[in-house]
Amino acid sequence: MTRSVLLAEDEPHIVEALAFLLGRAGFAVTVVSDGEAAVTKAMTETPDVLVLDVMLPGITGFEVLRRLRAEAVTARLPVVMLTAKGQREDRETARRWGADMFIAKPFSNAELVEAVTRLAGSTAR
Amino acid sequence: MVRSIIGARIRERRRAIGITQTELARRIGISPSYLNLIESNKRGVGERLLGSIARELSVPLEDLDGAAERRLLDQLREVAADPRLGGLGIDGNEAGELLGRYPAWARAIETLARSERELAAMVRAMSDRLTHDPFLGEAVHRMLTHTAALRSASEILTEVPDLEPPQRERFEAILATESRRLSDVGGALAAYFDRSHTTRSAITPMDEVDALFEAYGNRFDAIETAVSGVRIADDADEPALAAAARNAAAAAIGALIEDAEEIESEAARSRARVMLLRYAADAVALKDDAFAADAHAVGYDLDLLAQRCGQPHDRVCRRLTSLEPAAGRPRLGYIARNAAGVLIDCISIPGFAPARHGEACPLWVDCRAGGFPGRTLRQRAVFPTGLGFVFVARARHVGQAGFGQPVLHVTDLLAMDEHDATLTVYGPGRNNELTAEAVGTSCRICPREDCAHRVGEASDDH
Repeated sequence: MTRSVLLAEDEPHIVEALAFLLGRAGFAVTVVSDGEAAVTKAMTETPDVLVLDVMLPGITGFEVLRRLRAEAVTARLPVVMLTAKGQREDRETARRWGADMFIAKPFSNAELVEAVTRLAGSTAR
Repeated sequence: MVRSIIGARIRERRRAIGITQTELARRIGISPSYLNLIESNKRGVGERLLGSIARELSVPLEDLDGAAERRLLDQLREVAADPRLGGLGIDGNEAGELLGRYPAWARAIETLARSERELAAMVRAMSDRLTHDPFLGEAVHRMLTHTAALRSASEILTEVPDLEPPQRERFEAILATESRRLSDVGGALAAYFDRSHTTRSAITPMDEVDALFEAYGNRFDAIETAVSGVRIADDADEPALAAAARNAAAAAIGALIEDAEEIESEAARSRARVMLLRYAADAVALKDDAFAADAHAVGYDLDLLAQRCGQPHDRVCRRLTSLEPAAGRPRLGYIARNAAGVLIDCISIPGFAPARHGEACPLWVDCRAGGFPGRTLRQRAVFPTGLGFVFVARARHVGQAGFGQPVLHVTDLLAMDEHDATLTVYGPGRNNELTAEAVGTSCRICPREDCAHRVGEASDDH
């Protein structure tokens, strides 16, 4: 069965590259480019993995994560957080809100695809 | 009186006008051997005798015993005590001799030492700026974003063997665009550093004292211990409270300031003393463990807590910032601003960076609270960096009460990160009933170009 990834990222070129790579790795990729849409899509489509950027227009990735963790349907959804700032504070905030993985930009393609694949494999569906 | 300056001064002056030790001793009515002891800095000299000497040497008394020289001497002794000069065998007691005989050299050494201290403070201020400046944070963010796109696209181009020609063209185009954007960010950064200059005025006594509080995580265990046994009457007024705190904690405070690397200037020492005495008074009024338990019991509700403890809001705010870190206990920052928006108190927590030197963002809730004195307002504030905080602000009346007195307000603001807010009554809650508001630190460095409250033109950096 095809695994699905929801990609919440607002930088079009990063979206293009990641969608290409994840598609090539066999995932069905859905893209959203703002925080509200990320919450809605994650709750209605319950993907296998959410790749979530911290800096999204509207509400931030942290807020998206906070809302998802408060809902039963997405409380355990595997989430990889992407940030362009490998700052300790961001990492700490992501951890506290319950992110499964935290990847700092610029990441290697292999690192990201491997993280998503690993988390998708851990989803019991 | 500073014996070691005076002796050398007397000897220099006596020799300059060609009087022998015996002759001067005779004229002022002491023995030559006693004058020798005075000139060798081995005996002190009383005011009356010094007056006679000054008269005989035809110099003003101040030239023999000047306050400026005393300060200079203290500073020279500080130089002598610098551990980095330990290997040179400098004897601090010889500072008076140096100053008396070679005043210009003494001043030169002091000037260099002061300049070195100022440069060190400037380096610290600049390093602080690199860590906390929101513009730099934003620039780094953009740089990393463009680099991420570049890296992904170039890895696809080099590592995916079966790329279709249109895909190859697409990723090459991304490379070209992102390289240009990265160059733009680099250019903006270079322009920013070109224009930046840190001046001495950026390092104020307030900055030095703030650095001390930050270094201690806003909590001084030595003072807590010193005041733990102090009991005061329930109806004790502020002067009584301050006196009790001073009696119990003066020694601990003196030692703290003495040891503090952050405190360099005399003005900062004096401010540190005032702030630490206030800390001690707060600690006497609100006993550590009992206060922590009360705060937890009311969910850190500022109004309930102030009512329960019978203490003013600003004291409760300050005390909340100094609670010992513990699981389930929020970490709180605090600022107070006067009606002109000038920061008069600042207790920081990581990521919370109020504008310290004016040009503050007007969107913070404390700017609004002044319109509703005595009412507690809450705000969920999101910074351009993406970090979210919950702010709780309340304006209080300051100055004298009574008809005809000017009505002045100071606004207290408690800050906590969004996660810690969930440990308090101020948390956003599951239903997200608290709308996030986009705020900045200061227009000068804020990347929100479309903000309706921006003062002046958007910087071309952004």
